Amino acid sequence: MIGIGLGFLSTSMHGQAIFSPRSVATGSLGAGVIDVRGFTANPAGLIGMREWDLGVATSIATARSGQGFVFEGFQFGRKFLEQHAIAVQYTPGTSIDVDEPATVTVAGVNIPADRKISYAEPVAVAYAFRASDQWSFGVQARMRTETINDPQYKFQIKDTAIVPVPEEFTATSWYADAGIRFAPTENVTVSALGRGLFRATHGALPQEFSAYTLPHDPSLSLSIAASPVRRLMVGMEASTLKSGSYGMEWTPAWELSIRGGLYASKGESPFVYAAAVGAGWRYSIFDLDACYLFFGDQSSRRGLIPPISSLVGGVKDIGMNALTPDHLTIAVKAVLGRVRETLAKIEGVEMYGGIYPSAYESLAFHPIGKVHVRNISETPIQARATFFVDRYMDQPTETQPVYIAPEGQADIPLVAVFNEQVRTIPKMMIRDGTVSVSATVAEEADDKTQTRVLLHGKNDWDGDARSLRYFVTPNDPEVIRFSRDMLLRYRDSVSAGPKELSSFRNARVIVNAFAGKLAYVADPKQTADYVQYPSETLKLRGGDCADMTVCFASLLSSVGISTAFVDVVPPGRPDDAHIFLLFDAGVEAKFATSVASNPKRYVLRANKEGLSTVWIPIETTVITRGFDEAWTAGAQEYFDDAEVGLGLAKGWVRIVDVY
Amino acid sequence: MKSLMLVLAAGLAFHTAAGEIIVQRIHGDVSVRHGVAEGWSKVASGDVLRPDDTMKTGEKGAAVLVASTPAGKKTIALPPDVIVDMSDIRDLSPEDLMLKLTMEKVRASSYQWKNEDLQIPHAAVMHGADQAPASLHEGDPAVGILQFNGVHVLFTNGFYATCALKGMEILRRYPSLESGFDNRFLVAEALEKADLRGEARNEYGTMTAMAGLTPAQQEQIRARIEALRK
Repeated sequence: MIGIGLGFLSTSMHGQAIFSPRSVATGSLGAGVIDVRGFTANPAGLIGMREWDLGVATSIATARSGQGFVFEGFQFGRKFLEQHAIAVQYTPGTSIDVDEPATVTVAGVNIPADRKISYAEPVAVAYAFRASDQWSFGVQARMRTETINDPQYKFQIKDTAIVPVPEEFTATSWYADAGIRFAPTENVTVSALGRGLFRATHGALPQEFSAYTLPHDPSLSLSIAASPVRRLMVGMEASTLKSGSYGMEWTPAWELSIRGGLYASKGESPFVYAAAVGAGWRYSIFDLDACYLFFGDQSSRRGLIPPISSLVGGVKDIGMNALTPDHLTIAVKAVLGRVRETLAKIEGVEMYGGIYPSAYESLAFHPIGKVHVRNISETPIQARATFFVDRYMDQPTETQPVYIAPEGQADIPLVAVFNEQVRTIPKMMIRDGTVSVSATVAEEADDKTQTRVLLHGKNDWDGDARSLRYFVTPNDPEVIRFSRDMLLRYRDSVSAGPKELSSFRNARVIVNAFAGKLAYVADPKQTADYVQYPSETLKLRGGDCADMTVCFASLLSSVGISTAFVDVVPPGRPDDAHIFLLFDAGVEAKFATSVASNPKRYVLRANKEGLSTVWIPIETTVITRGFDEAWTAGAQEYFDDAEVGLGLAKGWVRIVDVY
Repeated sequence: MKSLMLVLAAGLAFHTAAGEIIVQRIHGDVSVRHGVAEGWSKVASGDVLRPDDTMKTGEKGAAVLVASTPAGKKTIALPPDVIVDMSDIRDLSPEDLMLKLTMEKVRASSYQWKNEDLQIPHAAVMHGADQAPASLHEGDPAVGILQFNGVHVLFTNGFYATCALKGMEILRRYPSLESGFDNRFLVAEALEKADLRGEARNEYGTMTAMAGLTPAQQEQIRARIEALRK
């Protein structure tokens, strides 16, 4: 016959409060989470990490003696791809360990048979995602164990003595939480956290220990943090568990922060049942935090405590409950990877439009977008921006430094040096571009962000005659081969006549030669979407007006003849937009009558050396009828549009020099 | 007889459409060149000319044209030895003239090449210089003179804007005519009449550097500049 009796003496109990002293001291505000510290209050705040965060904490329960400092645990967080962050927390110190003293009387002999009850939340893992500058989301899973070690049921006789044989029962549960963080302005953050939304259990305590099972109460907490003035953060939080908190953090100077928080609950007495004060100091890569948490009601926190089975119903949080004693927590967090202070912050990125591979070389000089940067330091900075698209750029392209005054903002134009790979893009696609901003000469960036980049296909054209120049490829071997072959084949006619007319004769031979090979020439109207490269036009033996103009410009340029596009966009009739070619006959204006007696057949304009020379208009869409017909048609068009119609003076006729 | 001709001319002009130019009467050697064609062809009274046509009168030729302008019908007499582009028989606003002049300056300057930061290089680069003597001849000044006579016609009939533009173009094409004081004075005067006082003053100003000016000519230029300063 075995009789059981229970005593009410706490022998080893340290319900440790929340892990991070910063979090405890500021009221455990979900909206106040900015890095790995206290992330379980809202994992969405992890997105505020720089790169690597590593934290270690220890604590001492001041209300009890003899325990010394307890290793609370460590946290580790990593931000990656700018929009993602993960963290893991190992906290062996977050536990409630209770010995319930008892004796068992066997055959009139009292045998000690203390029951050990332990609750712990040793592991939490979290993931955060930044959807935009304002919104981020986080999820986390917390492991909870409930263990009872009971020696009161089995006994064995050892050396003629009866000794109890402990038997251990463990129930393990995983709880899933989900959080949202919303920052409508840079001074206000709102967060929401759903705790215990899902639970998965493995094992369960025997029926006779059901009184020791902790309750599972899903809850929702809302939190807001604001900075009404610089260097001050205040916030409050409320939960559906009828509890809440208030907290603040003030950083007056020297990276020193002073913190304070109050905790309130309808289930506690008094209503405001706990307060915390703390301080933090940042030095280099380290954050040193300390806080002291103390409670108004000490009845269950020191000395004898009521039976644990009578308290477990009120334990909503293993870290913060009726058994948690007053205690001091000290923690150190180190920022790894990025060890310097952030000086510049990206406020936004604006892309001016898509990237046209044909003009990729010009993008090294012409901005493709801009990044809006803010100097968040108290000293002037020289900010540089870099832009990078994987695969199509060999390395990030950096801009010139831009001066930004303290607290000031500036737009930095983005340029990009693409590689040849961009000219292989068959059709339009979207890629991620990485924009970084750095305010020092260090390689690491102060801030990074991703932006969508629209990459057009290699033949896409934006309809601007200036962009059409980039399709002209006089150095293409196929272009050179064609023009040289033709000049060689017709060398007799090329070499006959005055030397001053050699460019004119070369042009006539090349144009006539290609005209004789053409299979088709499409609608002369301009198509503002697709342009063939000269090698493609030579291969296909045809194209539309833009294709032909580009091809002839390339052929003529390949033998040293300057060319220009005549871009005609009649006012009110954009559908009649058209483009044709001018080439420099290389004949001085005073000899113009050697080319044509009718001055309407040519245009006098300065060449690159400033010499006024004769330029011949060529309408490439009638090229199949030969050089002279194309010249006549081009001259007539030019005279009608540019001279009679005053198109050149009024801007609807443009001459775009090619070479 | 003259009155009858005027009445007939007026009646014919009444039936011309706006912008059209009708050959009212011709005498002697008168021909026309259509558009950008190279050759000249005969013209007859009553022919309607297009804006891209050019008319030429011979040594003993003459013609009377009736042009429809926004201000109404205008009769233009072409004396012997002139070449006139029909596109020049029109009024341009000072703004249009200013734009044209600016564009002409751009076209005549290598500045236009400096606008783009990316130039497509030539595949063929010529090194050295061809030392062979020039084998072309400058345009026949006689043709230039005929065209400049046409510029006088434009001035006489009040088409000052096109007169100035055409005069500058011809001087550029026939540099030998540029040394003629009267030619340049006519261009400057046309600019003045077209209400481009600044441009006219500049033109008069550049004339002061001409070689061989007589004191009378110098005084004439100075007087115009002074008048334009007021």
